[in-house]
Amino acid sequence: MDKASAKAPSLKKKLFRMRDFFSSPANIILTVTVLVLGFFTLYPLGLLIVDTVTVNISDLLYPELMGKKVGSFTTFHWKRMLLSEMSTTYFWIPLKNAVLMSLLASIIAIVYGGTVAFLITRTDIRAKKFVSSVFIFPYIMPSWTIATFWKNFFQNPEIGNFQSGMLYYLTGAKVSESFVYGLVPCAIVLGLHYAPFAYILIGGILRNMDANLEEAATILKATRARIIKKITLPIVLPALLSTFLLVFSSSMSAYAVPQFLGGTKGFSVLTTTLRQFINSGWFGQGYIMAIFMIIFGLVILSFNQYVTSSRRSFTTVTGKSGQISYIKLGIWKTILAVIIVILCLFFSFMPLVSFALESCTIVPGDFSRLTLKFWIDPGYPQNNGIHGLFYEPLVWSSFKNSLVLSFACAFFAGTFGILIGYAVAKRRGSRLAKLADNLAFLPYLMPSLALGAAFLAIGMKTGLSKTMTLLILVGAIKYLPFASRSGINAMLQLSGEIEEAAVIVNVPWWKRMLRIIFPIQKSTFISGYLLPFTSCMRELSLFTLLSSGSIYLMTTLLEYWQVWCDQSANALNLLIVVTVLAVNLLINKLTGASIDKGVGG
Amino acid sequence: MKKLSLILLMVLIAGFVFAGGESEAAGTYDENSVAAKIVKGQSLSDSELLALAKQESGDFIAYGNSSRIKNAVTNFVKKYGAELGLTDANAAGTKMNDTEIFTTLFQESVGGSAKSASMVMIQDGAQLQIYRNNSNMFENYIPGAVSGKVAQNDLVPLVHQYINKLFIWNNLGNDVPEVKNVWKLTEPSMKDRVFFKNPTTEQVNMNFLIMCTSDEWAGKLAAAYKDYYGKDIDLGSYKNAGYKWVAEFLANCNFSISSDTTICQTMAKADSAGNIGLFVLSKFRDVDASIKGNLTVGAFTEDSVKPFAGFMYPLYAQITAKAPRPYTAMLFINYLMTEEGFAPWGGPGTKIMGAYSSSSDIGASEGDQPITFWKNCLVAEDANFIMVNKASVLDFVNAAISKK
Repeated sequence: MDKASAKAPSLKKKLFRMRDFFSSPANIILTVTVLVLGFFTLYPLGLLIVDTVTVNISDLLYPELMGKKVGSFTTFHWKRMLLSEMSTTYFWIPLKNAVLMSLLASIIAIVYGGTVAFLITRTDIRAKKFVSSVFIFPYIMPSWTIATFWKNFFQNPEIGNFQSGMLYYLTGAKVSESFVYGLVPCAIVLGLHYAPFAYILIGGILRNMDANLEEAATILKATRARIIKKITLPIVLPALLSTFLLVFSSSMSAYAVPQFLGGTKGFSVLTTTLRQFINSGWFGQGYIMAIFMIIFGLVILSFNQYVTSSRRSFTTVTGKSGQISYIKLGIWKTILAVIIVILCLFFSFMPLVSFALESCTIVPGDFSRLTLKFWIDPGYPQNNGIHGLFYEPLVWSSFKNSLVLSFACAFFAGTFGILIGYAVAKRRGSRLAKLADNLAFLPYLMPSLALGAAFLAIGMKTGLSKTMTLLILVGAIKYLPFASRSGINAMLQLSGEIEEAAVIVNVPWWKRMLRIIFPIQKSTFISGYLLPFTSCMRELSLFTLLSSGSIYLMTTLLEYWQVWCDQSANALNLLIVVTVLAVNLLINKLTGASIDKGVGG
Repeated sequence: MKKLSLILLMVLIAGFVFAGGESEAAGTYDENSVAAKIVKGQSLSDSELLALAKQESGDFIAYGNSSRIKNAVTNFVKKYGAELGLTDANAAGTKMNDTEIFTTLFQESVGGSAKSASMVMIQDGAQLQIYRNNSNMFENYIPGAVSGKVAQNDLVPLVHQYINKLFIWNNLGNDVPEVKNVWKLTEPSMKDRVFFKNPTTEQVNMNFLIMCTSDEWAGKLAAAYKDYYGKDIDLGSYKNAGYKWVAEFLANCNFSISSDTTICQTMAKADSAGNIGLFVLSKFRDVDASIKGNLTVGAFTEDSVKPFAGFMYPLYAQITAKAPRPYTAMLFINYLMTEEGFAPWGGPGTKIMGAYSSSSDIGASEGDQPITFWKNCLVAEDANFIMVNKASVLDFVNAAISKK
C-alpha cells in the first residue's frame, strides 16, 4: 500500500468522526461557545495584558518613558507596581486591604445568610415566606445603595462629615468612626449584599438534604448540636466553600463600597487604586491590578472546582419524593422570626425609605422640610432646568433604553446560558465542556471598565460603535456567567432518563428542549434570565464608554445627576431599584421563577 | 502548565496584533482633512461657516467634562438646528470625564463613524498636551472673532473658560475658621475640618497640589509662612515650602464627601459650624436660599486669603481630527465664545458664579468678579509644569495620603 492510499482512509475516518461529533447538538453548542467566547473574552484579556507591557500616550508623562515610542514594549509598569518604593502605597497596602475586606465580607455573608438559610429550611420558624422573598432584596439592590444608606444612618456629628445621621437624629446615639467608615463597614455592607448568595446556595443544599440521615442520628440519641456538627455541616461544606469563594471574588472587585465608605482618610483597595491610575490615563499600571484580580478569581474558581468535583452528581429531579423533618424551636420560633424580620426590613426596606426621603428634602440631609417638587413639579426651574422626575423627558427615554437593553441582554444571556448548560451537562467531564464552562465564567472576573474599553475597540472595527447592538452584545457576554451557571445547575438536576425516553422515539432535539426540558425546569431557566436583567439594570462602568454621546441609560443619567442634584439623583436611584424589584416580583408571580432559583438551582 | 503558557502566549499575540493595528491606523493629513478645513474656517464669518456646515450631514456629537455641555448643545440646536438639519435626535452634548473622553476619542480616531464626536471640552491640560504632542486626535481652532479678546496663552489649545475652586467656610458658631493665611489650614486645630475632594479621584485637585510645588508658588508659600508665624520656614526633608504645605494640608483634609455639590450643601448647614471647604464656587447655585448666608467666600473677605484664595483651572475646547461635522464644530465653538453660548455656565445676566469666559467680551455674572480679579488671587494651572512634574508629585501626594 502506498502512502497516499494509506492517508485516504485516515482522512475519511477523520471526516467521519467529525460528522459524528457534530451530529450531537451538545457538541455543536460547545464548539460555537468556545469559538465565540474565546474571541470575546480572550481578546479583551489580551488587550489588557498588552497594555501592561506597552507604552501608552499618557505614560509619556513619566521621565523614565519620555521619548519612547507609543506602543513600544516596556517592563516599567510591572517594575513600578511590584518592585519600586511606591509599590507599598500603590499595590501591597491596597492588596492587603482588599483581601482583609473580602475575607471578612465572606465570613459575614456565610454566618448571616447561612444561619437564615438553616432556620428557614430546617426549622419551624415563623414568617418563612416573607423572609425568603425579602432576604434577597439586598442582592437585587446595587451594593452602593446599601453603603449610602449605612453612611446616612450611622453618621453622627463627631465623625466623617460631622452631620447627623438618622440614628443620631432619632435617638442621639453615636457609634464609633470605625463602624461607619473604613474596613469594617465596607466588609459588613458587602457581607450583607452577598448574604443572599449564602442563603441561596446553602439553603438549596439544606432543602434537598436527605432527612433520613438526621432521623437516624436522632434515633441513636445524638444531641442536636452533634447532629449539626457531624451530619449537617459536612453536607453543606461544599456550598459553604462555594459561597466563600464567590463572595470573596466579588468583594475583591467591589469599587463603589470602599469609595463611599472611605471616610476622612479614604480607604484604598485594588479597585480604587486601579481607578486612580485609569483616571490618569495610566492603563498599564491600572491593569496590573486588574490582572491580579483576575488571577485571584481564577485561583478561587479552580479551588472551587477542585472542592466541588468530589460531588459527582446532585440530581434531585428524579420522580422520587423527599421528606424533611423540621427542628422544633418552641418559643424561639417567634422570637427568632421577629429578629430576622426586623433585620430584613432594616436592610431591604430602609434603604428605599432613605432614598425616598432624601429625594423629598429641600436641603439634602435635612428632614425637617420636605417637598415633592423633585418628583412632580413640571417646571422646576433650578438645577440646569431638570424637571420633576415624572416630567423629565430624559428620564423616560433612558428608562426605555435601560429596559430594552436589560431585557435584550437577559434574553440572549439567558438563552445561551440554557444552551451552554444543556451542552455542558450532556458532555460533562469532557475537555470541551470544561473549556466552555470556564470561558463562560471568565467575563465575571473581568473588570467592567476594561471589558467596556475592549468592546469599544471591537465596535470601532466592526461599525457597531454607539449602537444598542454593541451594548446588548457586551451586556450579554458580561452576564452570561450568571445564566450559564443557572443553566448548568438546572440541567444537572435533570435525570438523563427524561430526555432519553424522547430520544428513543426519535423526537428532534429542538422539540425535546421546548416540550420536555424547558417546561420541567421552567422556573430555574427563567430565573437565569432574571439575573442578567437585574445586573444589567444597575450596571454603569460597563456601558459608560459604549453609550456616550448616543444612548442615555438610567445609570449613566444617575451618574450625571449625582454630580449636581442630590434629590433628583435619589429619586432616579429609587426608580431604578423599584423597577428591578417590580420586574422580579412580577416574573415571580407569573412564572414562579426567582433569583434564588437561578443561583441555587 | 504548558497549556496555560500556550494560552497566555496566544492572548499576548492576539493583543499585540490588534493593538498594533490601532497605532498604524492613526490619522493622516490631506486637503480634505479636518486640519485643512480648520485652516480655512478660522478666517470665515459665522454666516460663511453656517453655509459650509449646512453641507455636512450626520450627527453632531460633543463630549465635555462639564455637565453644562448638554445645555450648550441644546441651545445651539435651538438657534441653528433648522438650518443645519439638527434636532435633539441627532445632536447631543454628553458629560464624560477626561479619561472617558480620551479613551473614546482614541478608538474613534482609529475607526471613525458618523456618530463620532466632532468637538470636545477637556479639563486636564497636561494630558491634553501629551495627546496633542503624540497623537493626531485633536485639532485646535481659533475663532477669528476672538482675536485680541482671548489672552495669547489661552489660544493653543483654546481655553473656553476658567472655573475656580475657593476656600469657603461656614460662618456660624464661635469657632469660625476665618482663614487669612493658608498655613492656618495645616494647624492641628483644623484636623479633618478641611473638606476637599480626594485628589486621587479628582484630577484638577491633584493639578492644584502639583502647582503648589512649583518654584513660584513654593516661594509665595514660604513668604506667607513668615508672614503668619513671624519666622523663616523650616523645610526639614521637604524639597520646598510647596511640598511642606501640601503634605500638612492633606493631613488635615477630610475626604468623606466625594462631590463638590454635596460639600457645598453640607458646608452651608448649621451642623457644619467650624468647617471649611475648597470647592467650586459655581456649586453655590445649588444651595437653598435659606442657608446660603451661612457661607463665607474667603476671596470676598477683606484682605482675602494669602497667598492664594483657591485655584482655577481651564476648560479647553478642541475639534476632533476625525470630526464628522468639522464646520458645525467650528460654528459651535464660535457660539460658545459668545455671551449667549456661554450662558449655561454663567456670565452677565445670570446669577451663576464660578465660571469665566476666556473672552474679555464676556464679563462675570451678577455678584461675581471678573477673570482678571481671579488671576491675581488664585493658583492657575500651567499645563506644561504639570506635564513634567505630575508623576513625581502624584507619588508624593499618594504617600502623604497613605500616612493619614
